[in-house]
Amino acid sequence: MVNAHTPLMETLTDLCRLPGVSGWEDTVRRFIAAQACPWADRMETDTMGNLMVFRKGRAAGKTLMLCAHMDEVGVIVTGITGDGYLKFDFVGGVDRRVVIGKSVYLGEKAIPGVIGIKAHHLSKGEGQKSVPAVTDLCIDIGTDTREQAEAMVSLGTVGTFAPDSAVFGHGLFQSKAIDDRLGCAVLLELLKDQPACDTWFVFTVQEEVGTRGASTVAWHVRPDAALIVEGTTAADLPGVPAHKTICKVGSGAVLPFMDRGTLYDRRMRAMLVELAQQNAIPWQTKEMIAGGTDASAIQRSLGGIPVAGVAAPLRNIHSPASIGALSDFEAVYRIAGLFMEEFAKEKEI
Amino acid sequence: MDFFSLIEELSPEYGPAGFEDRVRDLLWQKLTPLCDETWTDTMGNLIGVKRSVQPDAKKLLLDAHMDEVGLIVTGIENGFLRFGNLGGIDARVLPATTVTVLTQDGPLPGVIDTMPPHALSTEDMDKAVPMDALVIDVGMTQAEAEAAVPLGTPVAFCTRPERLAGERITGKSLDDRACAAMLLLVLEELKNTALPVDLYVMFSVQEELGTRGAGCGVYGIDPDWALVLDVTHAKTPDARSVTLMDLGGGPAIGVGPNMTRAISDTLIRLAKETVSPYQLEIMSGSSGTNAWPIQISRGGIAVGVLSLPLRYMHTPQEVIDGRDAEYMVRLVTEFVRRIEEVRAW
Repeated sequence: MVNAHTPLMETLTDLCRLPGVSGWEDTVRRFIAAQACPWADRMETDTMGNLMVFRKGRAAGKTLMLCAHMDEVGVIVTGITGDGYLKFDFVGGVDRRVVIGKSVYLGEKAIPGVIGIKAHHLSKGEGQKSVPAVTDLCIDIGTDTREQAEAMVSLGTVGTFAPDSAVFGHGLFQSKAIDDRLGCAVLLELLKDQPACDTWFVFTVQEEVGTRGASTVAWHVRPDAALIVEGTTAADLPGVPAHKTICKVGSGAVLPFMDRGTLYDRRMRAMLVELAQQNAIPWQTKEMIAGGTDASAIQRSLGGIPVAGVAAPLRNIHSPASIGALSDFEAVYRIAGLFMEEFAKEKEI
Repeated sequence: MDFFSLIEELSPEYGPAGFEDRVRDLLWQKLTPLCDETWTDTMGNLIGVKRSVQPDAKKLLLDAHMDEVGLIVTGIENGFLRFGNLGGIDARVLPATTVTVLTQDGPLPGVIDTMPPHALSTEDMDKAVPMDALVIDVGMTQAEAEAAVPLGTPVAFCTRPERLAGERITGKSLDDRACAAMLLLVLEELKNTALPVDLYVMFSVQEELGTRGAGCGVYGIDPDWALVLDVTHAKTPDARSVTLMDLGGGPAIGVGPNMTRAISDTLIRLAKETVSPYQLEIMSGSSGTNAWPIQISRGGIAVGVLSLPLRYMHTPQEVIDGRDAEYMVRLVTEFVRRIEEVRAW
């Protein structure tokens, strides 16, 4: 059985609990800053809200940047009805089918609300075959009038899915926001050791609304290369044809060659694959061109920056209950750590 | 005992229709100190009686069902569980829902997986995923799952109850645990009352499969009157018909052929006399509650239905209003005290 009480898992569990909808990453940033503080040589937050933690390398020369995004998908209140219901939109890409019958927690006080659907008795048959539009869904916080609701939330209040998580089955972990608190947890663990070369551990904002935070970090850090640590979609479910599964939970770290946003640097990717193989760390790749990461923004920053990615496969990504394997998290952490050493030695990049 | 703390205990306990063991044990503990005698019958209904001071007193039965809607494992595919439903569930609430698989060896956490958008065509995105296309992820290989989860294993929602604004409460299986909680509070109210009749309380089974438990239970008890406590639909943003109840508007008194008129009339009169808010729920045929089998048990039993308004019925996040529960406890208590005022024809 996989050990669920590693420092990595404890940090991940703490991070998943925190609210951090894109644009409202403050709580996550404060937590990470406090954790990183004892180890940091420098720490800065830029105008966008990206947190950048510098650790001096054992040898001078190259600068590496590791990136993970702090933000998560969520909801934002866009209207309040006369009878006290909240209208909302999604922040980031959420399939509306995963929010029906779920709780959300709104604002700094984590006010609970329910995204309900009428009783099945009232929609039998055809009515249950279509999915209500987001504009037809409401959050019910228990208020009966606009005035009551306005005393608790306002337009623009954001909300997250339930903060609970669980380790279950054969070493799986279930929570909201594993995408990308996993990356944040990996970076937080890695920065506890002095790196081989100068390294910026960068925790970005607003990835889920179009890699907005990552667009400014390279300007501050000016790295020689960047490694993006992420969670990525897995569809290894019964009924999904093999060519659409993308990757499999429990089958190792994902080392992508390409996604919708980026053709990854071939030399860096080759290094990652070789490190995984030499060290017998399970790895796989994305067998479908899907998704995207902060790499797309970073690669085209300044005059161009070589980028690579390592990710954990996640089922139900962008839902209240995404699922990943502890063994994959460990593989991501080990490959990223080995890459930091290898990159310092590498002359070509 | 207060209502919310009872809900905090009763709502999270598992009791999918036909598999009520855990919730029955919990209710039995709660019921025992409030009754002179408690027992279960062949179907699994839990029954308690608080006797009258008078010998050969008439019998009044109060019923609330203990079961909840759930799922049941019908197959295992690559370690993922296929399932059917125990009671009516809209499959649209299932994707990305956490559930508890109730194995003989104890509860196992699971998640109902959802197909990511890339695996679907654009038109599929607007379609609800039918129940037979969904799977429960228990994080196991085929061999592990086969060993741990025999076919026929029940599955339940696992939401924890929470307070919303005002007196509102959300949670799973408030249908019908809210009424079970209210019955316990009624018994508590009547603890030191010399009752005019023998008061029977039944926590019945298998209501969600089509009111299968209560008919047998009532046959054994043979009451003179019965009052069924259940939940009914309150208005929601997507169902605003005037025929639906107002959440917070008081308990709904059932009126129609399934309810004996003398009981409905008595409930209305008592609500008026005690200035307790109430609503009328007009039901042209079956009430969809245990009153349906109870009414025609033995030679016929005088039955009434009193319902707690509830939003989003049979989902993991039902919503009720604690004020309605308070009014309902008051009305039921008054009804028990004055049951002899019910006059047949």
